[in-house]
Amino acid sequence: MVKKCFLIFTLALSLEAKSLYEHHCVSCHDGMTITLEKFFFRYLLKYSSEAEVQKALFAYMKNPKAETSILEPWLINRIGIKKPTTLNDKELDAALKDYWEQHKVFGKLK
Amino acid sequence: MLALKSWDTHLRASEKKTLVSFLLLYAFLTSLILVFVAIFYYASQRELLFQEKREILSTLTNEHIAHLKNLHNTFDKNQTYPRDTRYESAIFDSSLKEIFSTLHSNSVNLYEDIYFEKGHIYFIKELEFYYLGARYCALEIPAPQGWEHAVYQKLFLYGGIIFLVLVVIGYFLLLLLLEPMRQAISLLDRFIKDTTHELNTPVHTILSNIEMIELATLDASLCKKLNRIAIASKTISNLYDDLTYLVLSHHAPSHNEVVVLKALIEERMEYFHLLMESKKISQSLFLEEHVTLVIDRKKMTKIIDNLLSNAIKYNTLKGNITVTLTSFSLSIEDTGVGIEESKLPHVFERYSRFDTTVGGFGIGLNIVSLIAKEYGLHVSLSSELKKGTKVSLSW
Ligand code: HEC
Repeated sequence: MVKKCFLIFTLALSLEAKSLYEHHCVSCHDGMTITLEKFFFRYLLKYSSEAEVQKALFAYMKNPKAETSILEPWLINRIGIKKPTTLNDKELDAALKDYWEQHKVFGKLK
Repeated sequence: MLALKSWDTHLRASEKKTLVSFLLLYAFLTSLILVFVAIFYYASQRELLFQEKREILSTLTNEHIAHLKNLHNTFDKNQTYPRDTRYESAIFDSSLKEIFSTLHSNSVNLYEDIYFEKGHIYFIKELEFYYLGARYCALEIPAPQGWEHAVYQKLFLYGGIIFLVLVVIGYFLLLLLLEPMRQAISLLDRFIKDTTHELNTPVHTILSNIEMIELATLDASLCKKLNRIAIASKTISNLYDDLTYLVLSHHAPSHNEVVVLKALIEERMEYFHLLMESKKISQSLFLEEHVTLVIDRKKMTKIIDNLLSNAIKYNTLKGNITVTLTSFSLSIEDTGVGIEESKLPHVFERYSRFDTTVGGFGIGLNIVSLIAKEYGLHVSLSSELKKGTKVSLSW
């Protein structure tokens, strides 16, 4: 009984984390001309490893600035800078983790 | 000339030690030189190979990076890693984690610029833009067929030549090192040979003339003086015998016969009687009967004479000499000055004298050991300073 409860609890948690990325990030980004995947590859191009990418993303989400954006200035000028994330640190970490897992190159190359 | 031929048997322990340390040192230096030459040669050959391959590797890498760039930009449509028949490759992110690899080796040294491993040349390049997150790109091409084999072959050839040259140099160095030793020994041998030749006639003249004098007709004091002359002449005669034995006749064939030892010892004691009397040395004989050895009588006499004359020479005034003969051993013990412990290992060496206050050439015990060796007799010497020395022969 306790085991079952625990299982459901963890499942719910993981579902919530997944949906956090899907609902929070993807839903807002949906319909933007530059896809989240394109953003991801721009981060890869500049930061290379998972740790570096995550660090840079985290910093940007917390405090978006024109100087730290990977978008070109003219693009930023057109789109405008996003607002700091409303997620707390833990939620943001989980969302970014999902973001990485979905788009990472590891294991995808043939 | 005899001495030159057999100089090696006359090498002393200390000289042997010098030789061994020289050889060890030389072998060490030789191998050190060889190792350095080998390493240097191998490294230079490898560098040559790298120089030859660096340009093509650089070009291939740039091509590969262009492919990666292309893939980076079209990743949503195509996810096939760029491959080429001319090379294998791998990409790594900035934490050195492998993103993808077609290399033979699964551990690549990304800190190197170019290196050789297991028949392949690896070329590492850091990317300016991290396409697909790749910070490092490693390219692998096979080294020319049998490159390593050829290098090793040449290495062994040149190594062998250098080794031979070093061995030849070592041999001449050794000869150079031994030359002074050889010269010293052969000089002494030659000197003795020449001297003995000139000694023979006068000594015999003296001895035979003393024998001809009828002592009974002389007064006591003159008799005493003549005795002293006789002793002195016998000493010279003994020395003469030793020297000629050593330099001339120990290569001569032996005439082995059954020698009754008790009789021989008593005869030699009688011979040394006058000499012992002059130092007031007493004697204790414990001689077993019927002990025989098959040996050259002259050589056995030589042994006994040498041991006895040493026992007399190094004895104190009014000392004692004990001669013990059993069926398997003969020992001669004196109550003399004794030999320092540090000199004991060298007493059987030629020209070594343990007491420089008494004359002699230091060849007596050398002769004893030479003869003993010839007949398989075991010689042992024990001594205590100021107490005496005991030499034992056993068979
Ligand atoms: C309220 C809408 C909204 C939400 C929610 C949102 N974003 Fe954005 N995001 C934007 C806009 C607008 C931009 C473009 C402006 C900019 O780059 O600052 C952007 C830019 C980005 C960029 C490019 C950053 C850069 O360097 O310019 C990334 C990456 C990104 N978002 C990821 C995320 C992730 C991951 C989440 C979820 C944790 C998320 N976004 C949530 C609106 C949103």
